Amino acid sequence: MFRKTPLRAAALLAALLAGVSGACADATLDRIKAKGKFTVGVILSGAPFGFIDPKTQEQKGFNIDLARALAEKLGVALETVTVTPPNRVQFLQQGKVDALLANMQVTEDRAKIMDFPPTVFDRAGGAAIGRKDSGIKDWADLKGKPVCVSQGSNFTQPLIELYGAVVKGLPSQPESLLALKGGTCVIAVHTGATLGLMLEDRAEEWKDYGILIPTEIVPADSVVWIRKGEKDTSAALDKALRELITSGKLLEIAKKNRLLNTAFIEEQQKTLSAAR
Amino acid sequence: MQDAVRDFIALAARIGLNFDFLTSPFEVRMWLDGMATTLVLVALTIPLSLAGGISLAAALTSDRPWLAGPARAYVELTRNTPTLVQLMFTVLVVNMLISQALGGAQNNPLGAWFWLVAVVSLHVAALHAEALRGGIEAVPATMIEAARGLGFSRLEVLRVVELPLALRTALPAIVNNLVNLVKLTTIGYAVAVNEITYASLMIWTQRDNVVELMIVLLVFFSGINLAVARLGAAVERRLAVPGFGQ
Repeated sequence: MFRKTPLRAAALLAALLAGVSGACADATLDRIKAKGKFTVGVILSGAPFGFIDPKTQEQKGFNIDLARALAEKLGVALETVTVTPPNRVQFLQQGKVDALLANMQVTEDRAKIMDFPPTVFDRAGGAAIGRKDSGIKDWADLKGKPVCVSQGSNFTQPLIELYGAVVKGLPSQPESLLALKGGTCVIAVHTGATLGLMLEDRAEEWKDYGILIPTEIVPADSVVWIRKGEKDTSAALDKALRELITSGKLLEIAKKNRLLNTAFIEEQQKTLSAAR
Repeated sequence: MQDAVRDFIALAARIGLNFDFLTSPFEVRMWLDGMATTLVLVALTIPLSLAGGISLAAALTSDRPWLAGPARAYVELTRNTPTLVQLMFTVLVVNMLISQALGGAQNNPLGAWFWLVAVVSLHVAALHAEALRGGIEAVPATMIEAARGLGFSRLEVLRVVELPLALRTALPAIVNNLVNLVKLTTIGYAVAVNEITYASLMIWTQRDNVVELMIVLLVFFSGINLAVARLGAAVERRLAVPGFGQ
């Protein structure tokens, strides 16, 4: 309370000043234009969102392609920085990256400390993977059971508070899945799209495992995160996102990267095109 | 109590620190559990590492090659590889193999907690062993000869002559190792053992109050280690042998 009021006043003042001077963009947009580079923090925790191609050592995935498309729309080059769930917010706030495309959905807490262009590019929730013979069929069955997640995952709180699970946060998804196989937990909860593709691509290795619960936990909007109060960056990215969605480019990127469920993106494309 | 917490949060907010998480019961419980777990870990691993260190030092200085050889190999292997790697290897790989051998994870009583205690104690035991070996080798040969002359067996010489003197020489190094051990317990974060760094990490990845929790972490560990160092210094003073040059 003590902190927010002066901050808000300062933001208001800044907005007024920006309105007066008109031409001057916010610090990030200026910097992006000045260095000719859009620096995006991406997560490389696995297909389809982000991974390193073992053959070419290149970064690939939906996050990378979307970041590149956004940079193109801004008319600058793309630079990616690999981030992890525990450090991504710091990277953004310390200015090491201009934006985050790091599998981060909108939550109340995040929206307090960061901003995002209002256009949503996907919706993602957590799916539960476990041994087919574990007898788990519903989120309620997780009560008192050890459940693995990645550290920083937004599934942690609902798993504990809504379903009474004993959450174990491993540094990242590969460790969490290894821990699942080792018996540290009976279920691992990660983004549905990642798990779905993994089960499809590595069918032999995961033949005893499956997505055990038909629904996803806390489905939430995927957005591009930027620093608080950067209105011009937000507007520029929002415009770019809308163009990518209405032109069908985003759907193309999603299909190219094998997002198994593109219903949300198709829906967005229809709504945004109709609104134009 | 709740009023006190609210006052504290407001006071901290005034200097720009965000302790809002103290209003969330589940996060507070995880955080306090984390502190308790770290204290339990320290209380368990210190005696275990000392016991391991003494046994290893005895084996290292033994004149039986079948005892000294494996002990040396163990010390080199543990001392020269990162503890974090050892921990992840044991929890994620060794434990999975044990589960498979037992026909499923449900039959395997060992978990991340067990491996954390084992890896940290045994790692520091190797460091203790080297410190103690130095102490044992510093015992004058004439003193050992005299003890053998009095009819002491090899084990008795070790127990009543070498180890008590070695312990005095090695104490500063051992206390150093113990201070390190306290800090080493934080690697539990990597295998989801709810010690204080893990708890803090889980909270700050949700709330982005890294600085606030970092301050608490630093104060917390400084406190424990100040106590360990003070205790070590007290033991050193108590055990000092007048005229032995210490």
